Amino acid sequence: MASAAQTVPRKRALRAPTARRLRHWTLRGAAVTYLVAMIVVPVAAIITKGFSNGLDTFREAMSSPGAWAAIRLTLATSALAAIINAIFGTMLAYILVRYRFRGRAALSAIVDLPFAIPTLVTGVMLVAIYGPNTPIGKAFASVGIQLMFSKLAVLLALCVVTLPFVVRTVQPVLLELDTAEEEAAQVLGASAWKTFRSVVMPAIRPAVAAGALLAFARGLGEFGSVVFVSGNLTNRTMTAPYFIFQLTTQFKPDQAAAVATLLFAISFVLVLVTSRIVRTERKEAEA
Amino acid sequence: MSATVSAERPTVLVDITPGSREMRKRERRRKLVRGSIVAACLAYLTVVLLAPLVGIFLSAFSKGLPTIAETLTSPDVEHAFLITFQITVVTLLVTTAFGLVTAWVLVRHRFLGRRIMNALVELPLAMSPVTVGLACVLLFGRGGWFEPWFTARGIQIMWALPSMVLVTTFICIPFVIRSVAPVLEEVGTEEEDAARTLGASTMQTLFRVILPNIRWGLFYGIALTTARAIGEIGAVLLVSGMLKGKTETATIYVFTAFEERLDTQGYIVALTLAFISIVMLGVIEFSKRRKIREVAG
Amino acid sequence: MRARRLGVRLLVATAAFSVVATACGGSSSDGSANPSASGPCTMAETPVLTFAAYSTPREVYGKIISAFQSKWKEEHNDQQVIFQESYGGSTTQAQNVVNGFEADVVALSLAPDVNYIEDAGLITHDWTTAPDAGMVSTSVVVLDVRPGNPKGFKDFNDIAAPGVGVLTPDPASSGGARWNIVSIYGSAMHGYAGNAEGDEAGAQELLTGVFKNVIALDKSARDSIKNFEGGNGDVAITYENEVFTAQDAGLPDEAVYPPSSVLIANPVAVVDANVDKHCVRDVAEAFVEYLHSDEAKEYYRTVGFLRPTDLAAAQAGDEEMGFPPIEDLWPVEDFGGWDALDEKLFSENGIFTQAFAAAQG
Repeated sequence: MASAAQTVPRKRALRAPTARRLRHWTLRGAAVTYLVAMIVVPVAAIITKGFSNGLDTFREAMSSPGAWAAIRLTLATSALAAIINAIFGTMLAYILVRYRFRGRAALSAIVDLPFAIPTLVTGVMLVAIYGPNTPIGKAFASVGIQLMFSKLAVLLALCVVTLPFVVRTVQPVLLELDTAEEEAAQVLGASAWKTFRSVVMPAIRPAVAAGALLAFARGLGEFGSVVFVSGNLTNRTMTAPYFIFQLTTQFKPDQAAAVATLLFAISFVLVLVTSRIVRTERKEAEA
Repeated sequence: MSATVSAERPTVLVDITPGSREMRKRERRRKLVRGSIVAACLAYLTVVLLAPLVGIFLSAFSKGLPTIAETLTSPDVEHAFLITFQITVVTLLVTTAFGLVTAWVLVRHRFLGRRIMNALVELPLAMSPVTVGLACVLLFGRGGWFEPWFTARGIQIMWALPSMVLVTTFICIPFVIRSVAPVLEEVGTEEEDAARTLGASTMQTLFRVILPNIRWGLFYGIALTTARAIGEIGAVLLVSGMLKGKTETATIYVFTAFEERLDTQGYIVALTLAFISIVMLGVIEFSKRRKIREVAG
Repeated sequence: MRARRLGVRLLVATAAFSVVATACGGSSSDGSANPSASGPCTMAETPVLTFAAYSTPREVYGKIISAFQSKWKEEHNDQQVIFQESYGGSTTQAQNVVNGFEADVVALSLAPDVNYIEDAGLITHDWTTAPDAGMVSTSVVVLDVRPGNPKGFKDFNDIAAPGVGVLTPDPASSGGARWNIVSIYGSAMHGYAGNAEGDEAGAQELLTGVFKNVIALDKSARDSIKNFEGGNGDVAITYENEVFTAQDAGLPDEAVYPPSSVLIANPVAVVDANVDKHCVRDVAEAFVEYLHSDEAKEYYRTVGFLRPTDLAAAQAGDEEMGFPPIEDLWPVEDFGGWDALDEKLFSENGIFTQAFAAAQG
């Protein structure tokens, strides 16, 4: 290092600390301006508008027809979709990591598909195959089950859209997990389920929880697919995001803001919590 | 050799020598379990992804290839894709440039409020796109915080491209930052410090040292941003005026096509979007793999 | 400028520039020449007309606009007029215009929505002096039912019966919704739908019954009928022209005509504030004039499945197009016009307001 310092021209060496500090502050300033302008200001607008009259705006919004039904539907379907994807997501992660079979890379890519496809297109795809004018749709209709434009449709759309979350959080943990313990359990005669329950589950439980929470948070805000498949019937298949959409297009932005703040607060807390879990997981895995 | 199976049940002596009948039975059961898990997963994937993909494919092709060609070359569709493209490009420029700076500051600097900054970056991920659109309305719509300033200067934000760009950018903020930051952290400062000591300027360090090191993380973030920007619907639906040829994105085109009873056209453009996303997915997967390697060192 | 800081600034500047460029591009690319508030204003070489209409007549306006563009090109030295069309719930469109959506011409479902824009000061001329009091087309209220009318609906009292699933749009955003409500009220007052003539309490009860059965209040007439076509509900209350448009698209919608209906009259108007801002007044006024022409009327009839503006002609129906004659067709003037109806039905203690509240609770 001493020889390197000698090659640096004297005047640069003198100005280096000031220049670096200036650069630091320019960069930091740019980053802060970016985040404040793009994120803080819009969020502030929503919270302010929603609660400038205290809880009155919120109460007014929630007195609209179907308001509470929309919140309940969103919470219920998001939770259910998260649970379903927790189960299948864990299974998928397991087979992607532990099993060897042809087409494994393709399967991995397919699992990531919902992240790439526009949500509206997801909705369009679902209607294309399960809609009331399709063979499958008609078959189910004949036994009294309406697949599309129903609560079931909302659940299905959320399942598609939140599919990758649990897989992605569990996969890295499983990869790091030493198979020695699992093999030992099997050698000692434990059944597959027992092995899974006593050896694998405890290790992946936080990851599954994190993935499920992320899926839940994602489901709360889902719009593109649900707006297309649900039919948006007040009190029946209208979700919270659509309710916010409706309030906004009806020029009741303050009410919309009140409801939006509630929804977003829940999601934000969940995202922060799971971020922390995932980061801790990553650090533990590296240790 | 025999061994106890479990402490909860009364001791049962079982022959678990490899090749024994018990072990063969267990092996068979294990294979059955494996098979059923794979089958269950495949069944689930079929229901939620594969069947719908088939469905949209069939629906788009239901009126034959000529209709597809006609639709994709119609002025409305071409304009819609152009608008999507314009919005995506600006979003990419802004989120990449500022995203790099932000990721840098988050990783390389230590300062008060860094945790808040980290949380802020996560925020758009927690927001429903409708809420983002609402925020834009609150800021730039009639009576909004910034509306008077822009109206006085004759600049139109709402019902026009600028608002659509703003909301899409907001939604895409986290991607580049979150994919570059871990790589920056892993790569470490040695090379950068060395470069600076040798007298390299910021630009030189940036282009010759930093960017090559985070190449795949950056690529991954850009791919995610592109896919998300192309697919945006909720927020743009609230702020665009849905004027064909002016403020109608490809996704909005699909949305209104079904309202206009142009179902096949809607399916065709939707399939095109799906196809573009699948290509993007390939890019994403590819760069994800490279990024993992990059982080691993 | 020291190189190191210049680089970062350049990066930031490029990004900022692209954002600003889009902003400027977004506002001034309307093709308007000089948007000055005062003084003469010259129309751009390729004028752009922004057109906002209600949700139903997309198909017919697509055709009419093309026809007008060709006509204008012929008569004005090959000049191309660009149209930017927007369709949505009539009331929502009116609100959008008032809130900054710069439509040059509006074609809405009912006069009150145009008045809303007028009251906001954006329309400064008396648009009702145009031919037919500003109306360009008419239609009637029908019940859209499943093929073969399995439940045998004939009039509004049938759909007020318990257990029927009814679809009608939201009166807060859709013009069609208000026409529906007015029609139910009016036909009841005329002694139809199982109501005694003049019995206002009975009319209110009928409204309550119908709205108890409403399973969704969609934001526009088009959304409502699409909901019905998606398999929801037993009947959708909608415009006659909507059902025909659906049939034209190959769908199995079937119309049942209640014997008494309001004459749905759709207005068109130039939005003065916006045409002056965009310097497109000449084109806009020519367009509205065209919409009143015989040529346009033919399009409204054959492509839009709309009835003519003359009450007698509308009532007689149209054999060629398959529009049946209506037993009792009446304009809003029968009940004192929209002002009186708004007061009577939609005010705070209005008949509909009360009926709707009763239906909810």
